[in-house]
Amino acid sequence: MTALLRYQTALLLRSQRWVPPLVVYAAALAVGVQGGQPVLDSLGWAAAVLLPVAAWLVRICVTGEPPAARACVSAAGGPARAHLASVLVGLGAATALGGAATVVVTLISDPVSSGHGTRVPSLQAGGSGLLAVLVCALLGTAVGALTSWPVLRSPGRAVPALLLAALLALVATGSPAHAAVTALVTGSRSGTVPLPLLPLAAAVLVTAAVTAVTCALTARRSA
Amino acid sequence: MQRELRLDNVGRRHSLRGPWVLRGVDLAVAPGTLVRVEGANGTGKSTLLRLIAGIDAPTEGRVTGRPRTAYVPERFPSALPFTALAYLIRLGTVHGLSRRQAAGAAGQWLERLGAAGYARTPMARLSKGSSQKVAVAQALLGEPELLVLDEAWTGLDAGARAELERAVAERTAAGGAVVFVDHDPGRLAGAPDATYTVRDGTLHRRERPATAPAGPRVTVRVQGPPGGRLPADAHRIAALAEETAPGTHLLTVPASHSDVLLRTLLTARPPWHVVSVATEEPHGPEDRR
Repeated sequence: MTALLRYQTALLLRSQRWVPPLVVYAAALAVGVQGGQPVLDSLGWAAAVLLPVAAWLVRICVTGEPPAARACVSAAGGPARAHLASVLVGLGAATALGGAATVVVTLISDPVSSGHGTRVPSLQAGGSGLLAVLVCALLGTAVGALTSWPVLRSPGRAVPALLLAALLALVATGSPAHAAVTALVTGSRSGTVPLPLLPLAAAVLVTAAVTAVTCALTARRSA
Repeated sequence: MQRELRLDNVGRRHSLRGPWVLRGVDLAVAPGTLVRVEGANGTGKSTLLRLIAGIDAPTEGRVTGRPRTAYVPERFPSALPFTALAYLIRLGTVHGLSRRQAAGAAGQWLERLGAAGYARTPMARLSKGSSQKVAVAQALLGEPELLVLDEAWTGLDAGARAELERAVAERTAAGGAVVFVDHDPGRLAGAPDATYTVRDGTLHRRERPATAPAGPRVTVRVQGPPGGRLPADAHRIAALAEETAPGTHLLTVPASHSDVLLRTLLTARPPWHVVSVATEEPHGPEDRR
């Protein structure tokens, strides 16, 4: 499995297909986050925009390999494990991106509540932001895995489905990502740092289930 | 390979309501055997090979006894962001080698296939034939227990084609199984232990046909120690073995298998003495290149 993860990581990094999502994420942060804004609000934004970016990264990882090359790797390592490796590398890339963003946002934001009335401890705020980022990276991974090969094979349907699913995952009540982001925003109003552990647990479960299904599907559907 | 790979009543269709590509396929691939699969275009040969290689799962039926497997596709894309050597090292580790072992094996196979000069070339700049060599090297460097070749010879130059035939002989002599499809009826002629035909959506075993081209052969005259018996492995590799005089044997093998036979005889304990080696041109209709 380690060899597969390394192979997929190298494939992603060397292909440079990670650049567009990175640029889009950086642009979204530049639009929504400015120095001196309340920290929890900014962290909420950083987490929320990470979700579609994570889905995009997973899509890049899952579809990045030419089918014949994937066949060689599948024969050697097993098709399900080969697919799992590509999904995990996408998740890892999204988490790294979100983690870095959280650190930057925490450093440049004001450690205060929305009304600038209450002080919000930076370290706790950063930890809470990391949890929210993780929730959004996981859910974005689920969205990305569910809207690419082997579930949806034609890009014409997969890309709109990805965008729609990412939007739904952010705004639908009951979605762990919605819960985690909302907790940050309402926490910013009241000046309390939320601990989105329940959304995190839910996101882990959802993403694990979706990933397991897509891995099981890889060998059943042909490229 | 500890036990044989078995396909029991295997069927495959590519989508839920799609037509069956293959149905009712029973196949056993024992360790050390060479299996040839034939069939017209579009009959499902590639689908069968993907099932055998474990890339696709059967829609119905069971595949059991999966060994360490490697696969060579007919056309290998060069749209990979690695140099040939870097790609092979990564694939070697996926096949279970350490990085050092993988680097050693990758260099060796590139050299054997005549592509050592392309080791540091980015895959995207390789010609079709050179990237096919990388695909072949990728499969061979892990010494797989099951090697699946889907028209792997396509696009290779003559030297690499012959080298791949010898590599197949080495794999089977080492106890690995090899399953292959190739359009050239002379490919590894006389060597397969079993030939199957994919027809009408299922697999038919073909009895060894009298009309099959014999292919080029090599005759080896060897002398054993007094009273010595021909090593069992040599017996298995040779297509024909006759004792011409006490202690002297005349062995006939497909040309692809001559190196393996000589190696077996020379490394036997006690070693056998090779008196002569001669090539024997095939008789009858031929379409060798």
